[in-house]
Amino acid sequence: MPILDFLYKPKNELEKGGRAVAPVQEDQGEPEKECPNCRKSIPLSRIWANANTCSCGFHFRMSARQRISFITDKGSFKEMYSDIVSNDPLKFEGYAQKLETVRAASNENEAVICGTASIGGTKCVLFVMEPNFMMGSMGSAVGERITRAFEYATKKGLPVVGYTVSGGARMQEGLISLMQMAKTSGAVKRHSDAGLFYLTVLTDPTTGGVTASFAMEGDIILAEPGATVGFAGARVIEQTTRKTLPKGFQKAEFLLEHGFADAIAPRRYQRSLVAMLLKMHCGGEQA
Amino acid sequence: MFSKVLIANRGEIAVRIIRACKEMGIATVAVYSEADRDALHVALADESYCIGGPQAADSYLNEERIVSTALVSGAQAIHAGYGFLSENAHFSQLCAKNGIVFIGPAAETMERLSDKTTIKNLMADAGLDVIRGTDVLESVEAAKQAAEQIGYPVMLKARSGGGGRGIRMVPSENELENAYTMAVSEGEAAFGDGAVYMEKFVYPARHIEMQIIADEAGNVVCLGERDCSVQRRHQKLIEESPSPAVSPEQRKRLIERVTAAVKSIGYVGVGTLEFLLDKSGKFWFMEMNIRLQVEHSVTEMLTNIDLVKWQIRTSAGILLNFAQKDVALMGSAVECRINALSTGKLNMLHVAGGPSVRFDTYLVQGVEVSPFYDSLIGKLIVRAGTREEAMRKMKAALCELVIDGIKTNIHQQLRLISEESFMNGSYDLTFMEGR
Repeated sequence: MPILDFLYKPKNELEKGGRAVAPVQEDQGEPEKECPNCRKSIPLSRIWANANTCSCGFHFRMSARQRISFITDKGSFKEMYSDIVSNDPLKFEGYAQKLETVRAASNENEAVICGTASIGGTKCVLFVMEPNFMMGSMGSAVGERITRAFEYATKKGLPVVGYTVSGGARMQEGLISLMQMAKTSGAVKRHSDAGLFYLTVLTDPTTGGVTASFAMEGDIILAEPGATVGFAGARVIEQTTRKTLPKGFQKAEFLLEHGFADAIAPRRYQRSLVAMLLKMHCGGEQA
Repeated sequence: MFSKVLIANRGEIAVRIIRACKEMGIATVAVYSEADRDALHVALADESYCIGGPQAADSYLNEERIVSTALVSGAQAIHAGYGFLSENAHFSQLCAKNGIVFIGPAAETMERLSDKTTIKNLMADAGLDVIRGTDVLESVEAAKQAAEQIGYPVMLKARSGGGGRGIRMVPSENELENAYTMAVSEGEAAFGDGAVYMEKFVYPARHIEMQIIADEAGNVVCLGERDCSVQRRHQKLIEESPSPAVSPEQRKRLIERVTAAVKSIGYVGVGTLEFLLDKSGKFWFMEMNIRLQVEHSVTEMLTNIDLVKWQIRTSAGILLNFAQKDVALMGSAVECRINALSTGKLNMLHVAGGPSVRFDTYLVQGVEVSPFYDSLIGKLIVRAGTREEAMRKMKAALCELVIDGIKTNIHQQLRLISEESFMNGSYDLTFMEGR
């Protein structure tokens, strides 16, 4: 109840002229996307301007190219090994067709993009996985690209920054894709033995064989808020163990609490955090 | 004319808008947060709705709830005042989508004019002097070259900087190299982006802004300038019109140019063009405010033109019934912003009175000044035939104004307007330095 209670109201006649109502404007504006967290519809441009995040803090998925432009110094990214692609070694039914469709839809030829870049002035080797390419699944080409990226970094004495997003090993390549886990891990080990720095950023979702290999082998492991990170899926675990899983299981925050990640890195300061970590580990000399 | 308007704001500006609506015969709808349930604007409006918690994001910035309230209450238009949603293109668009008039520019105009490069280009094309920035400077050598072209002093700005951070002033060439290195590393450390560009540094300068009003038929009238050079950390404290630093010839020329510029961009409603006035008498365009401003009341007192009413009228498509020649910029008006320096309950309020003394406030005895919002609690404005008389009147009014229970800056304002450099009108943006 307001402090004041006015006794009278002026009875002025409404001024004349002009319009009273506006026509309902058809939605010819830009497309919007609903945030699954706060349920608000947000114009795409606003989502993009905030590095694909909603004002409520929800992080939308980001394509690999988007991430590269978001994280690297302008114009510094040089792609490598883009000619290495998977080619259906097992003649798995429907795989060749699937590759063709996915390549057309995602405009990428594989599920990871590797190259060199500078971040905050520090040169590094960068690999970024592509969620729109079979959910970043790891086949022979993905493994080979990442392995070569590590070998290149080892040879040149560069740190590696890796953004992981993956549904795991690529089923259509069977054992060959499982073998990539060992191969990439070997390359990571040799890079590490050379005394070089490897930083991983786990993004939603990082699962399966990727989690079980290079994703969790970083010297420092960052995770994006709310990202699902795990090996087997939560439902599979629940059905196998017949136990109810704790709330927030396999989420980035849960990982942090249990020591599987070093920090949660929201996108709004992810770039400066990655830049700082790189600089610290390179002794600030390259800049 | 709209028969019902929703006011999406609080404080003195909500009260100001409701008063204008009452005179125009428009029914009013107030929205308020839980912290404002006792507020004056809630009591004054014909209908009031609580729309959320004290945090602005829950209430005065909650676009969906405000638009829903407008739809439910049958308001035909929304006035957002200043701050909050007043410059939010998405909100303007949301109103349009729901068939509600946003009293202010359309989303498309807002986006176009709030982009600094676009508006600067538009204004430069219209013949105003604008402060030009360089592209990103790749090296110290590039910076040196740019500085020579622009002329010292210059400013180095971090591309990703903002809110006064990441800015360095460079007075001469000897200091450029050092400043450049610092700016780059500071930018990298603070924003993860070492890109810097250069801008001319206009210093010392006065902050002069031109008030305009325009209708759909393309009539543009300029209501003179306001001098807002008394600022502390970019917060204006005292505003006056006319500015003691602008000569009648300068004013005439500036009004002509501003009017032409606004005509060329096809703007409707009230707006303000901000300039820096340098020592040589040159006006440098900074930006355009596309909304009602806090200090609009100074212009209202000087010109006797009700800006809020005309803002509502132009939004309803009514054409201006006065032209530039009808605008008399006679006498002198000055405004002191009264800010709360503490929170708490207002025990007693006595408002200064007398001819040409105006106090715009949301304060009523017993109201709680909460920590959730801006510290502005009122604006004391006076008008007189001469600047000297206006200052006398302001001093008397400040002394008469009693706000008991909350610490305010009344005493500080009294000291400031009694300062020599303020009294003789020679002050500039350095006035508050070191205070």
